[in-house]
Amino acid sequence: MTTFLQVLMTGILTGGVYALVGIGLSLIFGVMRIVNFAHGEFVALGMYASLLLFQSLGIDPYLAIPLITVGGIALGAVVERGFIAPIIAAPEHVSILMTVGVGLVISNLLLFGFGAHPQSIFTWYSTKTVRVAGVTFSGPLSVSFLITLAVILGLYWVLTRTEIGRAMRATAQNRDAAELQGINTGVARMLAFGIGVALAAVSGTLLLPVLYVIPTIGGVFTLKAFVVTVLGGMGNVLGAIGGGLILGVTESLGAAYISSGYRDAFGLIAFLAVLLLRPAGLFGKSRV
Amino acid sequence: MRDRLKTLAWLGAVLVAFTLYPWAFPTKLNLGVVIVLFAGMATAWDVLGGWAGQLSLGHAALVGIGGYTLALLSLRAGVPPWWGLLAGMALTGAVAAVWGWIVFRLRGPYFVLSTIAVAEILRLVAINWKDLTGGAEGLFLRELPRPFGLDLFNRTVEFYLVLAYLGVALLVAWWLSWSRFGYSLQAIREDQDSAMAMGINPTRTKILAFMVSAALTAMGGSLYAIYLSFFEPHIVLDIGLSVELALIAYIGGAGTVFGPTIGAVVLLAAGDLFRNYFQQANLLIYGILIILVVRFAPEGMVGGWHALVRRLVRPAPGVPVEVRGERP
Repeated sequence: MTTFLQVLMTGILTGGVYALVGIGLSLIFGVMRIVNFAHGEFVALGMYASLLLFQSLGIDPYLAIPLITVGGIALGAVVERGFIAPIIAAPEHVSILMTVGVGLVISNLLLFGFGAHPQSIFTWYSTKTVRVAGVTFSGPLSVSFLITLAVILGLYWVLTRTEIGRAMRATAQNRDAAELQGINTGVARMLAFGIGVALAAVSGTLLLPVLYVIPTIGGVFTLKAFVVTVLGGMGNVLGAIGGGLILGVTESLGAAYISSGYRDAFGLIAFLAVLLLRPAGLFGKSRV
Repeated sequence: MRDRLKTLAWLGAVLVAFTLYPWAFPTKLNLGVVIVLFAGMATAWDVLGGWAGQLSLGHAALVGIGGYTLALLSLRAGVPPWWGLLAGMALTGAVAAVWGWIVFRLRGPYFVLSTIAVAEILRLVAINWKDLTGGAEGLFLRELPRPFGLDLFNRTVEFYLVLAYLGVALLVAWWLSWSRFGYSLQAIREDQDSAMAMGINPTRTKILAFMVSAALTAMGGSLYAIYLSFFEPHIVLDIGLSVELALIAYIGGAGTVFGPTIGAVVLLAAGDLFRNYFQQANLLIYGILIILVVRFAPEGMVGGWHALVRRLVRPAPGVPVEVRGERP
């Protein structure tokens, strides 16, 4: 029983980070109707940026989050203006190829700049654990989970309570109607992409204390993000939270009780099943 | 009809030009085999991705099935490679029929995502089913029979083998450029609903295209297995390979007879040229080129070239030369 609880809790904690990666992708898809194939590369970029800040300036990853957030929004906005906006009206395979290209450029520049060898940081809390009722919680993962919750609440507040959040939701629901209401949908898209990239980069920062980082790690997270968003419904930001938790728990339980070698396959199988049987996601109607 | 024969003549010329490669660059035979092989596989990808417009990022699965079928039949049952190659083609054709039947109800990004998922699941199976596939350590083709006394591990022999394969792939692409089937695929690509209204069954046509594309890709995968002689899931089943095939075809010119071949020559030669500067980062050029192509020449190098020629040869639009004389 304790083992089961342990496996379950580990799955939930991991799922929290997956959710954060997935929410960004879902927000971008909801507002812009494009699938960001470079999403995982922005996670990798966040990891390397935090690594650099830690190694050269001694800034703790958790303290770097505000910086990474601002940097992520700025970078996302620039990428959107420079690469996505010009092709936004083109057929969807065009935006897929464009983001694949952006992802390749990022991962290869990282390879160029940091080399292919795995790197990690060691902080005083990297191996700290908390024990509650016989269940061991990884310190950094628990902190990540709390920060993820805070970030999600913050995003929810921005989307529902602020003018720019309403503009983004309006753009997601109906672009033409939003424009008729005087909303600058171009700015809404730029910000949505910026926020999505920032969410990905922050997840990278949160993962740095517990993971090795290599320049090609982005592909893994792109796939995870796809699974999360499809489980939760493409464009459904709240659904992505559920999707992330389901993915984390499925992987954790599957790896513990079925086969650890197929850890990554469980999520993909669930992904295919949902794609074919319930394309709108597990939680019904799409909603940003 | 004249266009058709002209393309066929070009096709012959391209193949003849390639036959000279081993004499021209005897020290670069490895690169030559890879260029021609990838040209063939990208042409095979293009049957589905370009002509039918169904972007697939899972074709590595088909390369892998082709390669593994040949290698496993040879290692475990002593089946000669040519039968292994045909078995691999038949198997991938069947796999594509089922795979297509399942995923072609999805459109757009959902279809692309499903191809990635299926290919990734296959890669995980290949890594974990150690008894069958040798797992992550891979397989080693130690020896192969010698048909007509030809050593299949000799690079020159391999070069002409993959050239024959490229010939087959190009003939299929050429057939698509004028046949009814080819036009059905293009109709589906341009507008699936209108194609349906014209009496084309989109699902059946797409499945057929997938089967052709899959069997051709598997043929390349079998030859790739012989060329590598030692291969592992990380090489032949990786999503990186899927992306590479798609980008080669797209940068060269998707849905054209020679586009994928041009893409393979340019990208792989450039990759070889810059290898010393960029080391492992040689996919950088793929990224930069696909961004440029998508942004400025959506029809690839072939389309971009045609547009350039048109602009240079014909007067600029907006100056209707002929009309001017007719006005009173």
